[in-house]
Amino acid sequence: MGLRLDYKTDLWVDWCPGCGNFGILTAMQKALAELGLKPWEVVIVSGIGCSGKTPHFIYANGVHTLHGRAIPFATGVKLARPDLTVIVDGGDGDLLGIGAGHFVALGRRNLDITVIIHDNQVYGLTKGQASPTLPAGVKTKALPKPNLQDAVNPLALALSSGYTFVARAFAMDVEHLKEIIKAAVKHRGSALIDVLQPCVTYNDLYTTPWYRKRVYKLEDEGWDPVVRDPSERPVKLARAIEKAQEWGDRIPVGIFYQDPTRDTLEDRIASRIPSYRSLPPALQRIDSNGTPIVGERELKAIFRDRLIRVKKHH
Amino acid sequence: MEEARFLLGGPQGAGLETAAQVLTTAYAVRGYRVYSMREYFSNIKGRHSYILVRVNARRLPRAPREGPDIIAGLDAESVFTHFTEAREGTILVYDSGQAGVSPERIPSMERELRKRVRETLSRGGYPPTVEGAVTYARDVLGARPLPLDFRGILGELSKRLGIPAFKAKRFANTIIIAAVAGLTGLEVGDLREGFERRFPGRRDVVEGNTALVEVVYDALGDLRGSLALDEPLEPPGEYFVVSGNDVVAMGKVVGGLRIQTYYPITPAADESFMLEAHENLDADGSSLGGVVVFQTEDEIAAISAAIGAALTGARAATATSGPGFDLMVEALGWAGMNEAPVVVTYYQRGGPSTGLPTRGGQQDLYSALFSGHGEYPRIVVASGDHEEAFYDAVKALNWAERYQLPVIHLLDKFLANSIVTLEPPSLEGVRIDRGLLAGSAGPEYRRFDKSGGPISPRALLGQEGVVMWYTGDEHDEYGHISEDPVNRREMHRARMRKLEVAASEIPEEGERAVLYEGGSDFLLVGWGSVKGAALEAIELLRGEGLRGSYLHLRVFEPFPSRYVLEVLRSFEEDRVIAVEANYLAQAARLVAMNTGYRVARRILKWTGRPIYVGELSRAIVRIVEGGSVEEVLDYGA
Ligand SMILES: Cc1ncc(C[n+]2csc(CCOP(=O)(O)OP(=O)(O)O)c2C)c(N)n1
Ligand code: SF4
Ligand SMILES: [Mg+2]
Repeated sequence: MGLRLDYKTDLWVDWCPGCGNFGILTAMQKALAELGLKPWEVVIVSGIGCSGKTPHFIYANGVHTLHGRAIPFATGVKLARPDLTVIVDGGDGDLLGIGAGHFVALGRRNLDITVIIHDNQVYGLTKGQASPTLPAGVKTKALPKPNLQDAVNPLALALSSGYTFVARAFAMDVEHLKEIIKAAVKHRGSALIDVLQPCVTYNDLYTTPWYRKRVYKLEDEGWDPVVRDPSERPVKLARAIEKAQEWGDRIPVGIFYQDPTRDTLEDRIASRIPSYRSLPPALQRIDSNGTPIVGERELKAIFRDRLIRVKKHH
Repeated sequence: MEEARFLLGGPQGAGLETAAQVLTTAYAVRGYRVYSMREYFSNIKGRHSYILVRVNARRLPRAPREGPDIIAGLDAESVFTHFTEAREGTILVYDSGQAGVSPERIPSMERELRKRVRETLSRGGYPPTVEGAVTYARDVLGARPLPLDFRGILGELSKRLGIPAFKAKRFANTIIIAAVAGLTGLEVGDLREGFERRFPGRRDVVEGNTALVEVVYDALGDLRGSLALDEPLEPPGEYFVVSGNDVVAMGKVVGGLRIQTYYPITPAADESFMLEAHENLDADGSSLGGVVVFQTEDEIAAISAAIGAALTGARAATATSGPGFDLMVEALGWAGMNEAPVVVTYYQRGGPSTGLPTRGGQQDLYSALFSGHGEYPRIVVASGDHEEAFYDAVKALNWAERYQLPVIHLLDKFLANSIVTLEPPSLEGVRIDRGLLAGSAGPEYRRFDKSGGPISPRALLGQEGVVMWYTGDEHDEYGHISEDPVNRREMHRARMRKLEVAASEIPEEGERAVLYEGGSDFLLVGWGSVKGAALEAIELLRGEGLRGSYLHLRVFEPFPSRYVLEVLRSFEEDRVIAVEANYLAQAARLVAMNTGYRVARRILKWTGRPIYVGELSRAIVRIVEGGSVEEVLDYGA
């Protein structure tokens, strides 16, 4: 087997036939190929759930982590190798339930990572319990009783957390999703794509036909998400949060908000550690032929503020 | 005098930490060896804290020891908390202006202590006041009270500096620093250097403090230099003045750490601050790189990010204590499953739960060894003093990569917060070992290829021409999910067998366990910061004709079973004594688990305070000569 540039692996994809995840997978593979990225320059990091299996089906580095923890694992990868393209795939339960704290933290940092939520409103892999995006009062197929808890709005949460690229897409519109993924990857900063992902097995309410009837594209209405100057931020952000409330007969998809004017975490680190961009943690030499770069002399120099010279006197 | 010991007390936030640093620096400048430890509440301002300092002319003191030569209290609570620790000749420095204060007027004092003080004083017929406590110390214990007029001293300072009284008051903590320094014969210039180190670039603070030292020296009169120390014997040219947290940070830098993640927790956070303060590795004008120190949203994120970084080839670690480690456990298992080289520096404090957040203990050995579901290999190494902590920090990073597994480096609060004069460590023989790397791997690369043995060649995320997969699920050699029973049998065995490889390569004798031989009258078995007290107690008892040895356990996984059993069997069974800062005698039970040998005698302490040399020696005597089988220690306020 040689290196494949179509981003496909030869594994059998074990999602239920008709699952919206297939659309996300295809869109990702196409986006990566069209972006012209080499598979070794890309790291796909996922959580646990049906969605968590995504990296195994993509021919690029894949890190399938713990339930809810894809963002912090990805953060470590990105901090150590800021030149790599890092994408997170997680379920709605994964990213907005058990991992919600990390989801918020990433926005605060504006680290250049793209997060894709496989938003199916259920916990797929544990057989259909309510997820944090399922509205209260509804009863999807596997629930014994209607859902007691209200839904969180992923877009509004991302916007108020500081994500500088916030979008929604529909898993069954692969071409549109692919373009959004490309835009998110190209964006410098934390990017969120909330993907409406039909779960054919457990979600009998929010189905492909249900969405098809309602989804419309923001760009068709001339929506301008881009912040061109920091002074525009408050207004554009408020408008995006308002737009994110729209749900029901009409459901907008597309890029809600994009602010390329904010500095990234990498920028901030580089302003303190000048060598950070050219020699990030993973690329620094730490030894020469097994001898530490920091030897006795260097140790004293680095920690000179703790070194006391003894005065010989009397 | 070869050694002076002093205890300085005052309210938290009044500058006791500063006192420890200034004094340690000042004595270091003069060439003395200094050990100082700090006790404090989980509180920012107002509760009682103290430092215990040992200054020695010949060698580095290793542990706290009873019988201070000076007790100096910044406030009345310090006197009430410590007056019973005085012995024959102890100089008791206190504020004469506080003489009439009674425990009832000190809201910060804990009820239990207030009651004990009242009882002690009323039993002897002394009034429940500072005056009464001081008189008790003098009459009953033989202390020498040294009242100083704090108000007068500060008044004099304000006159000399021409500053208002409220400004002079800010220097109050220097009164006790100066008293101790003056009694032991330090020059004003020595202390000045201490202040300059502590307050770099703040001339007015240095000047004010120095002026106050002069005022106090005048007030001491004839007593100045009355506890003068011998000239230091062959002092080295330089010392690092560092805490346990500091030396771990320094060891990590030598060991090539390039990313440290953390979530704030006592007593671990200072290590990350130390690293961040030195994030640019600049030596003599040239840059050797940089360490990214990253504060995460919680400990789960801290370890997850460290693991993510480790997969790219950056040497990565996180530092925490018990509550944080608990949160890290699931990810630790992921690292075990995915053969990720990550280091967790684990500072034990008093548990369970929030427990004694700022006090110490050795209660987390089992947590480090056994936490987490499923079976996975890990190495657990415990440091006994600053020097060990430094080298262990390097080793931990090496072992993590050589054996591709998580390494837990166990320390405790006693070590973390004690400051010593450390001779710059020799790096001769210190190596960086990156283990088996797949530098020339291509498209056929399989991350978990076990064809050459249990340790697979490691390629790094981002390495050109190579892709790989990781998953916490059981996986095949590519890193793809596999539940096949034969694959499972082989993969699980290969992961676990890495510990056997480690066991065959890391020597038992001298590296995983160290025997300090001093005679066969008794054998102490301990680990971590028990080391200092054990070695000093053995030395103390040698003077009384009792000759003992100490078996210091260093690596708990892989456990040095063969060597430990050999050592244990070479002593009389009723002379083998476990010494630990916990209730269960955790290490002793572990010895039994690994060797079948049951250590039947033990000396334990779980008050959150360190084991003192004197109480340990007396407990040893009670066991060896008095037939006791278990001793529980509780010295220290
Ligand atoms: C700590 C932990 N708790 C619970 C689980 C069990 N679990 C596996 S997948 C899952 C939920 C998946 O739902 P979601 O994140 O929405 O992903 P989906 O399957 O819908 O793609 C849960 C709770 C787990 N793996 N780890
Ligand atoms: S359970 Fe739902 S989300 Fe999971 S694979 Fe099946 S259809 Fe897809
Ligand atoms: Mg889901």
